[in-house]
Amino acid sequence: MGDWSGAWTGREAVPDHPFVPSFISVDTPQAPTLGTHEALLDTTRNFCIIAHIDHGKSTLADRLIQQCGGVELREFRDQILDSMDIERERGITIKSNTVTLEYKANDGILYHLNLIDTPGHVDFSHEVRRSLMSCEGALLIVDAAQGVEAQTVANLYLAMEYDLEIVPVINKIDLPAADVDRAREEIDADLGLDPFEAILCSAKTGAGIEDVLEAIVTKLPPPIGDAKEPLSALIFDAQYDAYRGVVLLVRVREGTLRKGQQIRLMHSDKEFEIEELGLLKLKRVPSKQLEAGEVGYVIAGIKTIQDIAIGDTITDVKNPAPAPLPGYQEARPVVFSSIYPLSTDEYEDLGRALDKLALNDAALTYEKDSSVALGFGYRCGFLGLLHLEVVQERLKREYDLALLLSAPSVRYRVLLKTGDWVNIESPSLYPDPANIEKVEEPFIKAAIMIPERYIGAVMELCRERRGENTTFNYLSVGRVELTSEMPLGEVLFDFYDRLKTVTQGYGSFDYEIIDYRETDLAKVDILVNGEQVDALSQLVHRDKARARAMHYCDRLEENIPKQQFKIAIQGAIGGTIIARKTITAFRKDVTAKCYGGDISRKRKLLEKQKEGKKRMKMVGSVEIPQKAFVAVLKTDPGS
Amino acid sequence: MTAKDLPNRPSTDEAEASVSIAPGLYLHIPFCSKICPYCDFSVLTGTEERKAQFTVNLCREIKSWRGEDWARPFDTIYFGGGTPSALAPEGIFEILETLESNLDLEDSPWIQFEANPEDCSKSTTASWRELGIDVLSLGVQSFDDDQLAFLGRRHDGRGARLAVETALDAGFSAVSIDLIFGLPGQTPARWQQDLEAAISLGPQHISCYQLTIHEGTSFGFRAQRGQLSEMPNEDQAELFRITHRRLAEHGYAAYEVSNFASAPRFRSRHNQKYWQHVPYLGFGPSAHSYRGRRRWWNARKLPNWQRLVEAGQRPIEDAETLDSSQFLLEALMLGLRTTRGVDFDALSQEHSQDLWTERLPVIERLVGQGFLTVHGRSIAPTLEGLAIAETLVSNLVSNLDIP
Repeated sequence: MGDWSGAWTGREAVPDHPFVPSFISVDTPQAPTLGTHEALLDTTRNFCIIAHIDHGKSTLADRLIQQCGGVELREFRDQILDSMDIERERGITIKSNTVTLEYKANDGILYHLNLIDTPGHVDFSHEVRRSLMSCEGALLIVDAAQGVEAQTVANLYLAMEYDLEIVPVINKIDLPAADVDRAREEIDADLGLDPFEAILCSAKTGAGIEDVLEAIVTKLPPPIGDAKEPLSALIFDAQYDAYRGVVLLVRVREGTLRKGQQIRLMHSDKEFEIEELGLLKLKRVPSKQLEAGEVGYVIAGIKTIQDIAIGDTITDVKNPAPAPLPGYQEARPVVFSSIYPLSTDEYEDLGRALDKLALNDAALTYEKDSSVALGFGYRCGFLGLLHLEVVQERLKREYDLALLLSAPSVRYRVLLKTGDWVNIESPSLYPDPANIEKVEEPFIKAAIMIPERYIGAVMELCRERRGENTTFNYLSVGRVELTSEMPLGEVLFDFYDRLKTVTQGYGSFDYEIIDYRETDLAKVDILVNGEQVDALSQLVHRDKARARAMHYCDRLEENIPKQQFKIAIQGAIGGTIIARKTITAFRKDVTAKCYGGDISRKRKLLEKQKEGKKRMKMVGSVEIPQKAFVAVLKTDPGS
Repeated sequence: MTAKDLPNRPSTDEAEASVSIAPGLYLHIPFCSKICPYCDFSVLTGTEERKAQFTVNLCREIKSWRGEDWARPFDTIYFGGGTPSALAPEGIFEILETLESNLDLEDSPWIQFEANPEDCSKSTTASWRELGIDVLSLGVQSFDDDQLAFLGRRHDGRGARLAVETALDAGFSAVSIDLIFGLPGQTPARWQQDLEAAISLGPQHISCYQLTIHEGTSFGFRAQRGQLSEMPNEDQAELFRITHRRLAEHGYAAYEVSNFASAPRFRSRHNQKYWQHVPYLGFGPSAHSYRGRRRWWNARKLPNWQRLVEAGQRPIEDAETLDSSQFLLEALMLGLRTTRGVDFDALSQEHSQDLWTERLPVIERLVGQGFLTVHGRSIAPTLEGLAIAETLVSNLVSNLDIP
C-alpha cells in the first residue's frame, strides 16, 4: 500500500498510517495476477479527478477510497488525500497523491483503479500535466450548484491535450441550491461534452458513488502497452520517506520494472538499482514487478528529490527505450522572494527547514542571500504566489519560524548593451540602467470567469493591471469568460483579492504564462535618511513606480517611531526622488523624578527597551522596528 | 540654547558643592492629608494615633541598624514622602534623636525636609528650623488656582505664596519649590507665569517636574478611560525649553534634568548621592537603600512594613546586586540626567572593556546631532540632550553587550 500519509507534509513519513483500519491488509502481496498481461491491462484503469477548487474533488476521492477499501465511516478522516494541513484548510490540493483502489464491478471482475490525484491550483499546472499524462481518463466534476468554473475549463483543456476520456460528474446534488439542469446545460455549452453522459452524485451523502465507479470501469479505456517492450516509465510524482529516501511514483508505459533492475533516468542521466517496488494502496504494498499500464512506486536508493526530475522517464540500463516519453518540462520558478528570519539567530534553522521542504518539493529553489537591513536569508523561487504562500505557511507551522519576505518579483529578461541577455529576479542584481538596452517581463494569459454584470469592473481592473487584448465571450446566459494578456508582475500584488472584491466573490481566475514582452522597468529604492534599505528595493513598471514608492513611504512613516532626529523616508529611482515622507524628531523623554526608589524601576524599563531593540534593524543611525518591515512587505499595495 | 549655556564645568563655587561620598539617610513618611491624583508614591492618610505608632516603628527600624559599619558617617538626612510635614515636630525630633543615638552621623548633617504649603506656618517653620532642618522643600506644584485644583492640591495660589514667604523668613539655609508642568492644555504662557511667580519669590532652589501619568493612580484611570492624556511631545519639549531658559536667565542653573539652584551650594546634597551611586540607607515603607552595588528596598505597604518591624525584623522586601552591565546602565542613565554627565575614565575602572573607544562612534554621532558635548573622556548632555536623556542612554547601550 502506498505510504502517502504524511508524505507531503514535510514531516517524516509515518510508517504505519494511523487511520488505516486493521482489516485492510497491508502485508498481503499484490492482488491476484490474472495470468496474462492482457488480463492485467483489462482490469486496470488509470484515472484522475479534475475540478474547480471546492467542487468536491477531495470528498469524491475519499468516498471512492472508502467504497473500495471498506474503510468504516467513523474511522474515515475527511479528505484522506489532502494530507497537508494547509490543503485541508484551504480546501485545495497542492501536492498530488495516488492510490490504487480494488473494485469488484458489476461484471464480477476485480479491477485495479489507480486514482492519480491532481493538484487543483494553477501554480501547480506542471504537476497537473504529469498526472494527466499517467491516466487514460478523467472524472470532471461540476458542482451542481455553481456550475462550470474557470478551472474546470482550464483543466478540461489540459485533459483533452492528453487525449483523456472524460466522464462528467455532477456533484453535490444533495444541495438545496443544486440545479442539475443548468449544470448539464453548461457541460454542453461551455465544455462541449455530452450532458447526458454526466453521472449524478453526492460525494457527501454517498449517493451515486456506485455509478461513478461503474463509469470508471465501463467508460474509461484500459491502458495499453507491452510488457515485453524496452522499459519506459514516467515519473509523475515523488515522495520522501525518512527511512527509504525518495519514493518515485511511476506509470509504466512500456516494458516491465523489476526488483533489482538497473535503471536509468533518461533526462537526468542517472542510474540506480531498484530496491523495492509495488502498488500504492493506503500503504505501499511491495510486489515483484510493475508492468506496462500499471501505476505504482519505486524505491531505488535515491537520497533527495533534487537528484531526480519529476516528469523524467525511467528505462532499463541494458535494454533502453529509444527515446524518453514526451511532455517533460522542467518546473521553473516564476516568482521570487527573499526570506529572512525575524530573529537573526534563526537563520540556520531556516536553512535546515528549507532543506527539508525541498526534499519533497522539487519546484522550490533557494540560495543564500543577505540584506544589510535584514541580515542573512534565502532567495527563493516559487511556481507562483500560492506556492510561495504554501512554503511560507509550512515554514511557519511546521518549523515554527517567524519570517519576513521581500516583495515578490518575477524573472525579468534584460538585454545588455553588450548584447548579452541576463535573467534578473532580484532588485539587488538589477544592472545599471545605463547598461541596459531593453527589459522584458513575463506575460500571462489570464482567463477570468465572471457573471456578466461584472464585465465593466473586471475590464477596468485588467486595464489597471496593464492588461492587453482584453476580450470576452459569453459561455452561457449571464456567464462570461474574459481573457486578458497581463504582465505576471501585476498579478503578484493582490490581483486575486481585488478580483474577488470587484466581483463580490463571483470571479474566478486562472492563468498561464505565454511569453516575454518588452517593458519599461524601474528599480525603486527606499531611502531612510539617505541610506538605502536594500530589502525594500523593487522592480516596478515605471508607470506604477511612484504609487508603489508612496505606499512604502506611508507604511514606514506609520511604523517607524519618532527618533531624536528628523527622519526622511524617500522613494527614488536612481538619483531621482519620487516620493517622500518625514517623521519629525522626538524632542522630549518622560524624564520623571529619579531618586532612590525609582532607580531600579527606571533601569528595568531601559533594560526592557534594550531587549526590544534587538528586534530593531539599524539603517544608518535610524532604528527600524521589524513591524515596519512586516507592514511594508506583507500588505499588498493596491496600486 | 545649547550645553554652552549650562554649567557643565566645575567652577570654584562648584567645587564647594561637589558631591560628598559619605552615605546619606532617607526617611519615608508615608502620610498625606489627601492623596494627589497623580501620585504613585507609597502614601496614605492617617490618624494621629497611626502616625504615632508609625513613628515608634520607624525608630525601631532605625535601631535595627545600630552598630552597622558604613565606613563613613552619614552626612545627609532627607525626610520625604508622603508628607513629612504631616508628622508633628515632636515626632520628627524623636526620629532625629533615634538616628543620632544609633547611627554614626556627622556632627551636623545636612537635613532636607519636604513640606506641604498648607502645613507651613510661622510656628511650624520655626520648630523645623529648631530641629536643625537646613532645606525646606515645598510641594507648591503651581501658583495657579485652576491648576492646583486640577492637581487635587489642598492649597491655592495665595496659600502657596504665603507658605514660600513664611519659609524664606524662617531662616533655612535654603528653600526649595517643587513645580509641575505639562498639565493637559497648559500653554507656554501659563507655565511661564507659574515659573515667574516662583522666581519672583526668590527661593534658593527650584525643582520642575513634568507631569507623568502613572498606571494605578487616579490620573492613570482617567487616562485609561480617555479622559486625560499626556501633553503632545512637541509641546512638552517646548515647556521644557522654556523652563531651562527662564530659570537660567534668572540665575537658576540646572544641575539635573528637573533641578535648579541659584548657586551650586544650594543643590540638594542628598539627592545628588542617588545620581552618583553614593551609598544611602532608607527607612520607612518602600524606602530604598544602596551600598556597594547592592540595592534593597522595604515592604511598600505600611501594614506589611509594620508587621515586619513589629516582628523584630528589618522590613526588607527584596534586594538586587547590580552586575556590571546594570551598573553601567544606571551610571549612564543617572549621569546623563545631570549636567555633570558621565566620566568614562571613572566607568572604565569598573569595566575591563575600553568603553570609550567602543562607544566613540555613537558618542560622535550624538555630538554631531547636538545632544552631547565631550570634554576629555567624559560626556555631558546639552539642553536638547537633557530633554531626551533616556533616549541617549538607549542609543549608547544599544548593540552593546557589556561584560
